[in-house]
Amino acid sequence: MKKTWKIIGRHLFLALLVFIWLIPIFWLVVTTFSTQKGINTNHFFPEHWTLSNYNWLFFHPDAAGNFPAWFKNSMIIGTASCIISTCFVIMTAYAFSFIDFKGRKQLMSFSLILGMFPGVLSMIAMYFILKMLGLTDSVVGLIILYSGASGLGYLILKGFFDTIPTSLHEAAKLEGASEATIFTKIVVPLSKPMIVYTVINSFLNPWMDFVLVRLMIKSKDPQDWTMALGLFNLLQRALVNQYFTYFCCGGLMIAVPISALFIIMQKFYVEGVTGGAVKG
Amino acid sequence: MKKIANYFKDFGYAVAHGDIWVKLSLLIMGAGYFGRKQIARGILMTLLQVGVISSIFGVFMPYLSKLNTLGTVQREEVFDILTMKKTVNDYDNSLLILLFGIIGVLVIVAFIALYIGNIKAVYRIQKMKEDGEHINSFLDDIASFKNERFHITLLTLPSIGVILINVIPILFMICIAFTNYDENHQPPTYLFTWIGIKNFVNLFTTSQTITFGYAFVRVLAWTLIWAVVATATTFLGGILLAQFINHEDTHFKGMWRSLFVITIGIPQFVTLLLISKMFGDSGIVNTFCSNVGITEFFRNIGLLNPGDSFIPFLSKPGWVHVNIILVNIWIGIPYQMLVATGILMNIPSDQIESAKIDGANKFQIFWKITMPYVLFITGPSLIQSVIQNINNFNVIYLLTYNYKTTNMAMANSHANEADLLITWLFRLTNEYSNFKMASAIGIVTFIICSALSLLTFSRMIGGDKEGVYR
Repeated sequence: MKKTWKIIGRHLFLALLVFIWLIPIFWLVVTTFSTQKGINTNHFFPEHWTLSNYNWLFFHPDAAGNFPAWFKNSMIIGTASCIISTCFVIMTAYAFSFIDFKGRKQLMSFSLILGMFPGVLSMIAMYFILKMLGLTDSVVGLIILYSGASGLGYLILKGFFDTIPTSLHEAAKLEGASEATIFTKIVVPLSKPMIVYTVINSFLNPWMDFVLVRLMIKSKDPQDWTMALGLFNLLQRALVNQYFTYFCCGGLMIAVPISALFIIMQKFYVEGVTGGAVKG
Repeated sequence: MKKIANYFKDFGYAVAHGDIWVKLSLLIMGAGYFGRKQIARGILMTLLQVGVISSIFGVFMPYLSKLNTLGTVQREEVFDILTMKKTVNDYDNSLLILLFGIIGVLVIVAFIALYIGNIKAVYRIQKMKEDGEHINSFLDDIASFKNERFHITLLTLPSIGVILINVIPILFMICIAFTNYDENHQPPTYLFTWIGIKNFVNLFTTSQTITFGYAFVRVLAWTLIWAVVATATTFLGGILLAQFINHEDTHFKGMWRSLFVITIGIPQFVTLLLISKMFGDSGIVNTFCSNVGITEFFRNIGLLNPGDSFIPFLSKPGWVHVNIILVNIWIGIPYQMLVATGILMNIPSDQIESAKIDGANKFQIFWKITMPYVLFITGPSLIQSVIQNINNFNVIYLLTYNYKTTNMAMANSHANEADLLITWLFRLTNEYSNFKMASAIGIVTFIICSALSLLTFSRMIGGDKEGVYR
């Protein structure tokens, strides 16, 4: 009998924790249905419920809120830099894991040191460079920034490659396969789960980023903004009383697909993160 | 040191012992290949040489020659009454001089390395010919990029990306830290120039006019406290939560986990901004607290002044620090829970079983077996996450972008109590164009981070751990 109470208590405690964790998200969801456009500071639930905010979000962009354009920009940036960075990461990880070339350790140390430099600072320099090239306020410039240095993020995938037996590699070599064949025909197909993980990470990195767009995009035209910048701008003092529900709708719309993705991907995430941690 | 000496010694040896073709290669880089009938390779090499040399003299030389002063001619506009047009003089742009100067230096260094490598390669081919070995044809060379030289094929593009997006900007910002580039010296209208280590001296001085030293010590202290506390709380919380969910008595494990994971899926710029509004001075949490009587209670026990009508969750020092940490726990625990779940699944169960048989209780098992195991595995990544937290821009900036400090000494140097080094330098550049101080702060941050990583450095790649799992 005592045991049953203990189990019930355990689940109640978990439920309480989940409740605390989900309050802000719950607030986000209910606010999207509010008729009051500013922040409702008196009541948790809206006084009058409506769906018109979604209509506004999707079909009536105005001078400050242009969700369709932001979504499009973020999507283009995310997809393009996802493709480029995934390729870069796989290539770098393979080279560092399977090929014992001269200067390999030095290059790896160098890449670690580079990673320690505050990213914000080098982004400031990149701003000057892109400005010279006329690429600020453009999708192309952001894609270059997000994907260019992505080769540095090879550690986790390399950790996984390190667990693929070298005997496999050697056997293939004896059969007369070139490194390029081993790479495309053996290692990449073998690592599908980890590559899926890499793909998702490389997509989410630009999708969830805020600081870089804040630095790079100076345009005053909402058409040029990405999701992060657009939503951030809506919470400025002058706008927040008109656009808070708009912010919530937008936030929810981009959160739903990603949350779903995360729940499905939990397993990969667990393996990916720990795999990298153990094997360095 | 010896390696460097050998590098040049090999070069000297190759020149001294090379035949006429090798010596000709000193002048025309492709000559050595022409002599061994590797025509295509020779042409490519010579073209590369011509291209690089002409770009050095054609493009980079004007900038390189001004690199020592960063330009002397300031921009001037003259309005010509007769033609009604403005004419601008042939002015120097310090920014361009510095940038192209750096790229120029890099190109020259790379070219010298290529040049030396080329001579050695040519000499190697001469030896091969003398020994009667097979000399690669151009097609062989191309094929080798799919095999022995596959790493070059793989790494070329990523390396170019890293050099352009990472190395050049870093070098550039390091240089800026030694100049007077700020709001009063902005190209193209004004020039900036080298001023030595003055910025670093300012960063550590406190006087009537300069308060950077005062602000720096406080910001640094908060950065370090934040990084350690944030890492420790989320790490410990994550393990405890993972343990709690993994416990045999817990049902629906997957569901509980998924519920927490939902919070990871929402981008931080949404959740954090939302929370900053919830905890605002007139936000919903304050309404709740004053309705329930918590505000009153805090006033009674002296946490709030008698005149305060709201709880300054994110607008007063002390309050803001505690709340940032709490919000970070909210943000960080679900993620750490996932990581810890992965680790706990692999924990050797025989150890726990035998401890149980020996009569160890739950707490002993947790502290004596689980924790050491988890720490052993995640040790290096813990230090990594301290470093990440030192540079954790999102949590601080998105929660406190409206924070106004009342401390004049802090405000003078554009810092506030909630700032980390990284948000401080961001604000210095983005809002005040004080690039020189931002760069100096960035370098200090870099030094702190690399000192920390030295602790894990050897474990990460120095040792022979790579092969253990094969």
